Amino acid sequence: MIKIEEHKQPQVGLATEGFLNPKKLYLPLSQHTGRPSLPCVNIADIVEEADLLAKEDGFISARLHSPKRGKILNITEGCHPSLKRAKCIILECQAQEKEYSYRKNVESLDKEELREIIKNSGIVGLGGAAFPTHVKLNPPKKINTLIINGCECEPYLACDYRLMIENLREIFKGIEIICKIIEPDEVIFALEDNKTEVVKKLNLLISTKRVNLPKTKSAILKTAYPQGAEKQLIYSVTRRKVPSGRLPFDVGCLVCNVATAFAVYEAVYLNKPLIERLVSFAGDAIATPKNIRVKIGTTLKELFDAGYLKFKHEPRKIICGGPMMGVALDGLDYPILKGTGGFLFLSKNLDIAEEDPCIKCARCVDSCPMNLLPLELARRIKKEEFAALDDFSIADCIECGCCNYVCPAKIPLVHYIKVGKKYTSRKD
Amino acid sequence: MKLIISNSPHLRSTINTSWVMRQVIFALLPAVIASVILFKYRAIFLILNCVLTAVATESIILRIRKRPSAIKDFSAALTGLLLALILPPSTAWYAASLGSIFAILVGKQIFGGLGSNIFNPALIARAFLAAAYPKMLTTFIKPYSLDAVTAATPLALRKFSAHLSSSPTIDLFWGNTAGSLGETSAICLIVGGVYLLARKIADWRIPLSLLCATLIISSIFYFANHSNGSFLFHLFSGGLLLGAFFMATDPVTTPMTKKGRYVFGVGCAILIMITRYFSGLPEGVMYAILFMNAATPLINRLTRPRRFGE
Repeated sequence: MIKIEEHKQPQVGLATEGFLNPKKLYLPLSQHTGRPSLPCVNIADIVEEADLLAKEDGFISARLHSPKRGKILNITEGCHPSLKRAKCIILECQAQEKEYSYRKNVESLDKEELREIIKNSGIVGLGGAAFPTHVKLNPPKKINTLIINGCECEPYLACDYRLMIENLREIFKGIEIICKIIEPDEVIFALEDNKTEVVKKLNLLISTKRVNLPKTKSAILKTAYPQGAEKQLIYSVTRRKVPSGRLPFDVGCLVCNVATAFAVYEAVYLNKPLIERLVSFAGDAIATPKNIRVKIGTTLKELFDAGYLKFKHEPRKIICGGPMMGVALDGLDYPILKGTGGFLFLSKNLDIAEEDPCIKCARCVDSCPMNLLPLELARRIKKEEFAALDDFSIADCIECGCCNYVCPAKIPLVHYIKVGKKYTSRKD
Repeated sequence: MKLIISNSPHLRSTINTSWVMRQVIFALLPAVIASVILFKYRAIFLILNCVLTAVATESIILRIRKRPSAIKDFSAALTGLLLALILPPSTAWYAASLGSIFAILVGKQIFGGLGSNIFNPALIARAFLAAAYPKMLTTFIKPYSLDAVTAATPLALRKFSAHLSSSPTIDLFWGNTAGSLGETSAICLIVGGVYLLARKIADWRIPLSLLCATLIISSIFYFANHSNGSFLFHLFSGGLLLGAFFMATDPVTTPMTKKGRYVFGVGCAILIMITRYFSGLPEGVMYAILFMNAATPLINRLTRPRRFGE
């Protein structure tokens, strides 16, 4: 792990704004890990807010709901931040707001019913990987430790931080639901030590026992990147190591992002599917950074057209996600997906430099959270020796970018490793 | 709107190869200043000669190899400087120039240039000069003497005359003894070395394990027989500090794994002390590090870190 400049000011101090009346939404059918959803509406249909638009396809898949009342314009190819082009439902929205009423019988629901609500709400992991939550909450093994991930270790991003500041109670209501489903022995709320204000609130909430949870404690971890990566977080909190190719439940853990817990709260208590999320907009190219609650499917273009975001400098790079693992975009036509935590607009080119020869300083080796040898991988990939890559555990690389960040020779190690992965046999 | 598309990460640290090399040169400045105070104009001539010859050789070879000029990475200048600091102050100008050419040509460029060499270029050049001019490379002069009064180094006195008292530790500490240009002043090397480690320019594992192993070995031998010399004597005399902080931390020729770096440091210490106690040579830092350079690929293979979760 590495220390890295945080760039979280001023985003962390900015209260959430709302942009909940978009004109048009682009809703890709693939916003989660697993098979794309299957549309269950037709072109020209009128749908209400929270209506089902697409059903899950198979075990690992998720549902998609209409974020607004409106008319289905088309079901066709559209922009997708990571897949570039993907099938999506285009919705023309009407400016009508739906009232959600508080569900009264939450206490009496059993775990199957709760899991069904989560599945029917289309909830996926909101930390980035977007794994369907109802699948995650049905582990084949007993879970001892539920870890709530509030680390948000990517620089610039502050949406989880704002959510914890503004909605910590609701997050805990969501955690209560998750506990009812998986029945863990203990709950550990993990934070980095740069989030002092949240730490205070959290400790107050836990110490006054106003939460109805099993043994709960906070784990204040040192601020490092990638502290919030699943396997690293489990190790930091419990000293348990998830073996290569295995999943957290193999060591009795389940990791859940704070935003996911909040989505669970909204689904169960308000009967509101996952149709909105909090997104950070940051970087030096925009006039004022913002944290905005938006409808899933809102495009960047619409936020700029509506004046919510303004350019101060001409952007050289637009990134969907954080600067360490995010995807560079070629324009503003991209929609916000369920797993999108932020967008960056940078006026300076911060990463492209001429590649010098490797001096084997091994800073990459020292920084790798998976204990790999990035320089050895890159050397072999450059020479097209793809057969040797499995020996160097290329599939274990989580592409966190630490090696790439620290390299004094400016070798694009992650780029090489991504190329190398395409040529290796084992994929996971 | 012209946007750049590239793979993540989109952030980079500000350090680069040139910065790393310049920092090492900066850390050597105390030793350079000490050498000028102790050996006057000879130090200035020797350093300028080695640095300029190394840089000129590098640029000529890169032009012949049709590679972009890499002078700005300061690696050739660093090699030249290190070579100057490990040569006797009275080394003839032609021998110093020849050594610098050898360091860059045979020590570095033949292997493919920066990052590809197996041996530390400065040390391999000194080994070459020791073979080519054995007399010149074992003749040392007294510091502060303008007319080149020859004198034996403290390690040679210990070995060949069983003389320890002639070089009190305090002289070794400040550098007022005969020896190679930049190796005599312990305090200057420690200041530079600590700077390197504190700024994380060099990893601490090799210097620390090397010095700890030296402490243990020399203490055992000291208790067996005081004429073997104390730990402080062995620490401050010869090339031990220069080697530990500036030669054994050369990233290119030392192990990339953390465990391997401990092995490298301890291996160097054992070889240095064996040479000092049992061989026909008074000093063994150069051969010890070169030998461990050769063992580095093997050390890397045997100390491969286990991937996370194993």
